[in-house]
Amino acid sequence: MFNFASEEWVQALKEAINSSAGYAEAAKTWEGDFYFIVEAGGPIAQETVMYVDLWHGVCREACLCPDRSLKNPAFVITASLPVWRKVIDKKLDPIQGMMTRQMKLQGDMVKIMKAVKAAKELVECTTRVPTKFPA
Amino acid sequence: MNGFMGRLLLVDLTSGRLSEEALDSGLMHQFVGGAGFAARYLYDRIDVHTDPLGPENPLLFMTGPLVGTAAPLCGRYEVCARSPQTGLWGESNSGGRFGPFLRFSGYDGVLFTGKAARPTYLAIRDGHAELRDAAHLWGKDTYETQEAIQAELQGTKLSIACIGVAGEGLVKYAAVINDWGRAAGRTGMGAVMGSKNLKAIAVGGQGQVPLANPDAFSAAVQATIEAVKEDVKGQFLTAGGTASTVDTTMWMGDIPNKHYSMALWEPVAKLGGGTMAETILTGQKACYRCVIGCGRVTRIGGRHATESIDGPEYETVAAYGSLILSDDLEGTAYASHLCNRFGLDTISAGSTIAFAYQLYNRGILTSKDTGGLKLDWGDIEPALTLTKQIAHREGLGDLLAEGSRALGRRYGVEDQAIQVNGLELPMHDPRAFVGMGLVYATSPRGACHNQGDMFLVDLGAPVPELDIQLGNRLESSEEKALMTSRVMDWRTLYNSLVMCVFCNPSADLVLDLLNGATGWNLSRDELLPLGQRAFQMKRLLNGKLGLTAANDRLPKPVLQPLVDPAVETQPPDMSILLPAYYRIRDWDEFTGMPSAGRMTELGLQDLVAH
Ligand code: SF4
Repeated sequence: MFNFASEEWVQALKEAINSSAGYAEAAKTWEGDFYFIVEAGGPIAQETVMYVDLWHGVCREACLCPDRSLKNPAFVITASLPVWRKVIDKKLDPIQGMMTRQMKLQGDMVKIMKAVKAAKELVECTTRVPTKFPA
Repeated sequence: MNGFMGRLLLVDLTSGRLSEEALDSGLMHQFVGGAGFAARYLYDRIDVHTDPLGPENPLLFMTGPLVGTAAPLCGRYEVCARSPQTGLWGESNSGGRFGPFLRFSGYDGVLFTGKAARPTYLAIRDGHAELRDAAHLWGKDTYETQEAIQAELQGTKLSIACIGVAGEGLVKYAAVINDWGRAAGRTGMGAVMGSKNLKAIAVGGQGQVPLANPDAFSAAVQATIEAVKEDVKGQFLTAGGTASTVDTTMWMGDIPNKHYSMALWEPVAKLGGGTMAETILTGQKACYRCVIGCGRVTRIGGRHATESIDGPEYETVAAYGSLILSDDLEGTAYASHLCNRFGLDTISAGSTIAFAYQLYNRGILTSKDTGGLKLDWGDIEPALTLTKQIAHREGLGDLLAEGSRALGRRYGVEDQAIQVNGLELPMHDPRAFVGMGLVYATSPRGACHNQGDMFLVDLGAPVPELDIQLGNRLESSEEKALMTSRVMDWRTLYNSLVMCVFCNPSADLVLDLLNGATGWNLSRDELLPLGQRAFQMKRLLNGKLGLTAANDRLPKPVLQPLVDPAVETQPPDMSILLPAYYRIRDWDEFTGMPSAGRMTELGLQDLVAH
């Protein structure tokens, strides 16, 4: 089990992405790097920033960042811990999450709309990481 | 009367007489404007004997209290009459600038009656209305018509709504086209114009909509603009146009493929707003005061090279793309161009053509029927040829011009036509969002997504302040029927206001806009009943035109399951949804009409005796 949004969890996610044939196929022409941000609140004392660089179906780099200043990613997705949990548990579709404003997205909307299938595969990858959420 | 110009222009095309009528403030309070007002107004003027294409069918262009104000999403108008396509209530709306410009010309609406002896157009400039000869415009396409009228009436900034050859030829789903490529496409209002020898309406002027409380209204406008900008739906629409829906919902089985026989066809992504933005897109267009600008301007090369095309929109890329398994984006853009120029509804045209493809591939239609055209899945070229034939009523096009129901009837497969009451389904498969099944079966104008976008609600756009909650998109239940009825009431109010359904500020903001403009001082609790009153009004009018409970049926093919392991779909269970919906609506199980009690509750008691 990996603690959600820890350095170990991020590395396990990288591995899950890179061993996913589904993701490799769905994202073979897609490129872009992300901040996945868990908002402060509840057991999350301060906002947690995960960086993931996705390039043509592989994850080139993934790490936990001390804050938002380390990188300048093309996309930033922000949500609270319960919302991230719902996405990872496949109880909330990411598009639905964005439409209901539970998840906030910054970045090029055209690129995002072309990545819906890749996003679904990415969610599948997260489900393959044994995850322990903070109580 | 604040929020209104206060008058309707009455045009008797038979005599050429023009007159005015003051708007009845009581009626405006009851029905707000737009299509709601039109339903009540036309109720007294049409019945089951009215020939939709006869001089006796009145045609009403109508705006609402927010049209032409600074409010975003309100640059629209409605056009209403008995529909030649369905024989029922006909209603269609369009964006652009025509609605606002009609108000600036001095009127809230225009009622046409009779039939002109020769082709005619109406011009209203700064309160002065005149009928003008349009013989030289007859036969011209909608763009040529708009250009010619602009050149003729120099001096006033104008917006023009007109018909093309499809309307002249009484194609049952002829559209009214305004502001170059904006279309009031549904229910054949273009054919009604054609039947009256009415080619166009040109409007413009310096009028201003009087506001009850300009400061409060202005604050509501600012807040609405902010809300719209923050809405991710609006951001998708700005970036990808309405075709961004392809990218986001194809994975749910929303976009119909191969004439409603496949849940997922991955090449459809090539028709999405994302691909469009990266390939043929050259610009964007917005309706009056809209901060989203979902309209696309595209350029295509190759065999149909065209420098500037309005569109394609979502419905067009689906109707001319995935429905016939074509991923030719440029081809669908050209189809959009043809439909705009001829004045055709792309949904009904594309869907009827796709039905012809299906019948051809099942051997029911032969090359003899098609005049040698091979309607092979994936090839858009014959669809483009058929579009031209429909517009000119040539060859097979003459039959297709009557719609998919007539095509099915001719070949003994009417039950396979994807239509409700003669109106083809929009491009949202009810097996992806079962609430859409209920919307299509019970919408007042036949299968329609504009009077209840359950696909958007269950995708992630609930209206919690009106207790319209997000639900499981595949669950047929009492709750789904309840949510669907509320959404339909809410959207019916939108069509009275007249407001764009694509992006949705909160109900409280809509309320602030309405109160700020009219001074009506409505409360939030009054919004859905206002919508329901107009909805039931349309139902009563349909009853007068012959509709009963037997009309509330979905076409058989969309009640069959789709099988694709990658996409979860489920046919709507109408045995659960429809009875629940009837209970909520208080509709009689045979007549399909609301009870006297419900009518009285909604202030429609004067119609009980009818
Ligand atoms: S969202 Fe599109 S259709 Fe709606 S008002 Fe804006 S530009 Fe017009």
